Amino acid sequence: MAIDQVHDLQQVYRKILYSMSRPGDISILREQAEQVDYQLPCYDATLLSAMALLDGEVSFHLISEKQQQVGGKISEYTLAKQAPADKADYIIVLQDATELSILQAIYQCKIGDLIDPQNSSTWIIETPKLSNTAELKLMGPGIKNEVKLFTGIYTKAWQARKERINEYPLGIDLIITDAQAHIVCIPRTTTVEITGVE
Amino acid sequence: MKTMTHFAFFDEGSKKEIRRATLKAVAIPGYQVPFASREMPIARGWGTGGLQLTLSLIGKTDIVKVIDQGADESVNAVSIKKLVQQTTNVALTENTEAASLIQSRHRIPEVPLTKEQILVLQVPTPEPLRQVEASEYITKRLHAEDEYSGVWLLLFEQIMKYGKTATGADHPVYVNGRYVMAPSPIPRFDNQKLHYSEALILLGAGREKKIYAVPPYTDVNSLAFEDYPFTVESFADHTCYLCGADDVFLDELIDETSGKSYYQCNDTSYCVDRLNSLKEKEAAPTHA
Ligand SMILES: [Zn+2]
Repeated sequence: MAIDQVHDLQQVYRKILYSMSRPGDISILREQAEQVDYQLPCYDATLLSAMALLDGEVSFHLISEKQQQVGGKISEYTLAKQAPADKADYIIVLQDATELSILQAIYQCKIGDLIDPQNSSTWIIETPKLSNTAELKLMGPGIKNEVKLFTGIYTKAWQARKERINEYPLGIDLIITDAQAHIVCIPRTTTVEITGVE
Repeated sequence: MKTMTHFAFFDEGSKKEIRRATLKAVAIPGYQVPFASREMPIARGWGTGGLQLTLSLIGKTDIVKVIDQGADESVNAVSIKKLVQQTTNVALTENTEAASLIQSRHRIPEVPLTKEQILVLQVPTPEPLRQVEASEYITKRLHAEDEYSGVWLLLFEQIMKYGKTATGADHPVYVNGRYVMAPSPIPRFDNQKLHYSEALILLGAGREKKIYAVPPYTDVNSLAFEDYPFTVESFADHTCYLCGADDVFLDELIDETSGKSYYQCNDTSYCVDRLNSLKEKEAAPTHA
């Protein structure tokens, strides 16, 4: 079986939309992940998210040690072109990305401007395991009171994100994927507080 | 004859473009995200913005409800349902609770929506500052600068003239303390349903090519002054003549023979549901 470009990707989109509307609420793409028959060194949820959102109209920047191998394939599957971090509509960060390369891209990437805040980059970023345990406390639109989230993403990256969302509505929106086909989203409106692991 | 081959009318590229705009709209609550509105096989001004959102969202397992001014059977609602069903073959419902996707014009259903549902509102005029400023170039800058004195002045002038804000429907709201947003021509009675809604609410304007959103659990406040607080339509002591509801938006009807007015739920499926459950209660055996 292969990914159904119409129905599987519609389901993936709805789950991303659900999680983007409810920051910290983890969605599972397991059924769709089972259809993935590409042999790529990235998580199924990463590939599915990219396939659901990217096409020839947008560009992406890949941060990975396997940049050449994976970047070319994502380009081939989605028709999206690769671009430097400061131009890309999507920043895709694989699990092997170094802290420095992530930080550089956070400071370089598009955050929109006051006239067109939507001209900002959306991040698809991998982490081994997501769960609703402490490390981060999220608050903001889409969250009833507050929600706990564990991502394992570098602390410095959260600090850098905070600087880039400081001038709301400017900012970046995150789709975080894990190895078990989970996704969670953190739009620019979410306040992320680092509470430390329980 | 061109045959329809795409699920949900659109090719995947068109859907992706609408989907990307929708995610940005959710990330920037109340901000109008531009999108490449498509020509639709229904007349413009008949909900093409809402319809494009619905078609970008819909999947095989969705259950869809379409309402127009509270009614499921209006010409507009029926033509939208027909197009949705012909291109997707999904199940349709009039029951608000059974629907996963609800497209509506001019009302938010009376039954509280849930996190499993998405409400799509059709928008004729997405720009809340249009009465103040005709130029799109300038309104975009006013939003950018958080410069809303014009719309406040407009409300103030209405109070001076009429003793109250004269916005019948589409009373502007502040979303997440940042953007002033047109909630679409819903009655003021429905504005409160936008605040801290359980369901995601998406708004689409086809002619003006804008998508915007109110995520769940988001602050939505109707613009008002401290001396002139926001008020909703009042139905005083009136109740629905069919089901007896007294806490919903009522339509005033005139009895042709007596000339007297009487009231009825505007949300017809809500009214029918109440009538059915009242009947069940009556039919249930009673024990002494
Ligand atoms: Zn009634």
